[in-house]
Amino acid sequence: MYELENIRVLIVDDEEELAATIAERLEIRGIQTQTASDGDSALSLIKTHPPDVVVLDLMMPGIGGLGILKQINLLEKKIPVILLTGYASKERNIEGMNLGAVDYVLKPCQLDDLISKIQEAAKSK
Amino acid sequence: MNEKEIKFIGKITAGVTHEVNNVLASIREISGLMTDILSITDEESFSRKEKFQISLQKIQNQVQRGIKLTCQLNKFSHLSDTNKSDVDLNEIIEHLIFLTERFARIKNITLQNRPSTQSITITSDPFLLQMSLFNGISYLLNRMDNGGEISISPGKKGSECSVSISCMGEGADKSKLFKDIASSEELLSLRSIMQSLNGTYELDELNAAIIIKISSKN
Repeated sequence: MYELENIRVLIVDDEEELAATIAERLEIRGIQTQTASDGDSALSLIKTHPPDVVVLDLMMPGIGGLGILKQINLLEKKIPVILLTGYASKERNIEGMNLGAVDYVLKPCQLDDLISKIQEAAKSK
Repeated sequence: MNEKEIKFIGKITAGVTHEVNNVLASIREISGLMTDILSITDEESFSRKEKFQISLQKIQNQVQRGIKLTCQLNKFSHLSDTNKSDVDLNEIIEHLIFLTERFARIKNITLQNRPSTQSITITSDPFLLQMSLFNGISYLLNRMDNGGEISISPGKKGSECSVSISCMGEGADKSKLFKDIASSEELLSLRSIMQSLNGTYELDELNAAIIIKISSKN
């Protein structure tokens, strides 16, 4: 398994409080985190401080999670993306996985489950 | 209710359950964060640590309960997405029991799922099908006294599928169950739904049951 301390994760969710709290819990476990609440700030952070893994909410305003995923796919450096999805987005989950997301977790997620998927994703880089 | 109205209610309910899910996710993470902080706090600096940990666990348990309920309600809201799809009878009965068991619990009646050992799939309108089962359950519930059981069991013979909704136990007085069939709103509604689904229903007074019959291919 990848050491948690070496992993930098970007959490993208328009539910800012949720993203910030997940980030804080991951940091207690040693994972470095950044958060973004929309597509523009997410893509800007990815370019300036490339993370090892992106945890991406699918149901977001603007270009939405799938739009952000497509933009990430265009980048030269491949960054694994884990989708964060609600139960209403089954079709989007499938589309997201088809677009190259490495995994997905259902919201509300079990933190241990999310962490093990982050480790797996970081290893797959 | 017409198709547009059903879809409208379904869409609004789906949207709200999605938002409630986000609220529950936030509560879960915030209480999780508090648990994390407590776990790295020593007893000496916080004398009521254990009481807080127990309370946080209770919050997490209630959140889990809320998640299960909103998940099932969301699933229910999507029944109206289409008026024809493949429906697994075992699954739809399990789902309906989860959503309606509260009505039975008030009268101290248990809703008992007796699933078929084999999967029974029919092509039908999932919303109307569930509504027909609900009417059958409601009919018996409204005529039973306190206590007893309503069991729901699907079956299949050739291309005909059936769901038997029967009651037994202390609250099930057979002499009362089928006295007002002509004026029953539940049966009136059931009859109209079964016409839309190209199905029928039968009353089995001997076994205190309502049997809903529908072809597996519609």
